[in-house]
Amino acid sequence: MSSWRSRSRQSNSSRISEEQINDLVSKLQMILPETRIRNNDRVSSARVLQETCNYIKSLHREVDDLSERLAELLETTDMTSSQAAIIRSLLM
Amino acid sequence: MHVTKEFKKKTFLKQFLLGLHVSNSISNPISIEQRKNSIKLSADLAMAFARGRTHWTHALITKLGQKEENKSTLKGILGRRYQILMARYSCPLLYQKVQRRKKGVRSYRFSYNAQKRRSALKGSCVRVSPSVVARNLENRRSKVLKRLVPGGELLKGSSLLSEVLDYVISLKAQVDMMKSLWRATQVSSSSNVELIPKCSIAKEGSFLHYSK
Repeated sequence: MSSWRSRSRQSNSSRISEEQINDLVSKLQMILPETRIRNNDRVSSARVLQETCNYIKSLHREVDDLSERLAELLETTDMTSSQAAIIRSLLM
Repeated sequence: MHVTKEFKKKTFLKQFLLGLHVSNSISNPISIEQRKNSIKLSADLAMAFARGRTHWTHALITKLGQKEENKSTLKGILGRRYQILMARYSCPLLYQKVQRRKKGVRSYRFSYNAQKRRSALKGSCVRVSPSVVARNLENRRSKVLKRLVPGGELLKGSSLLSEVLDYVISLKAQVDMMKSLWRATQVSSSSNVELIPKCSIAKEGSFLHYSK
């Protein structure tokens, strides 16, 4: 964590921001799916950052993939009243 | 600071469906590629609106609004709000700052490499302590993160990390919403509507809460 520490001012506030950073990293670790990091093990922050990068990239790919699938689906069918009813049930 | 995401479900869906409807009516999309791009645009915009005003949503909307091909769709979705939002979110200064900073990084890296080359020529190996190695690794990773998160280039330290956290949660929520929407549309287009149990759809839309 030395790089984060050197960026903040060397004073009492640096200790607080270091705690903040550790807290944020642990929260990130919790967010990551189980298959990437075993949440009960203590892993290094560098590893958490690496896995976060990979996770964000995979989420981007998923959005891309889902957009394509929705595009194909909506090409063939149009929004009918039954579909609108389902979507209304999603909103409830 | 306690942040809940319950509101996001309704806002996201409303915005996303509006976007789909608008992109359908604006132009009869010729190719699947165009349709896919407009769906992606609607989804990103919906995600940004659902989250509210944070640094990354600001940067995302700015980025989306600057592309020429998106402008007509955006105008259709936002309507009267388009002018106001574009005025608020168009910050040419933001991008100028990023460009200037990029130049600075390049010159620094050049001088650092020159230094290494000089010491290598002298015959001595560049002794790098483990803390420097760790710092380089982290700098590289945070550099990648900065590129992935919209608006990340201008942040550092704990603010970057909190933005990343927020962005990851919103992305995951976006993916889940799109997945459930896709499944619902797929099922309804093929089989009987009444067979879909409500509880399974409701489960798809659950989000993570996190509190500071």
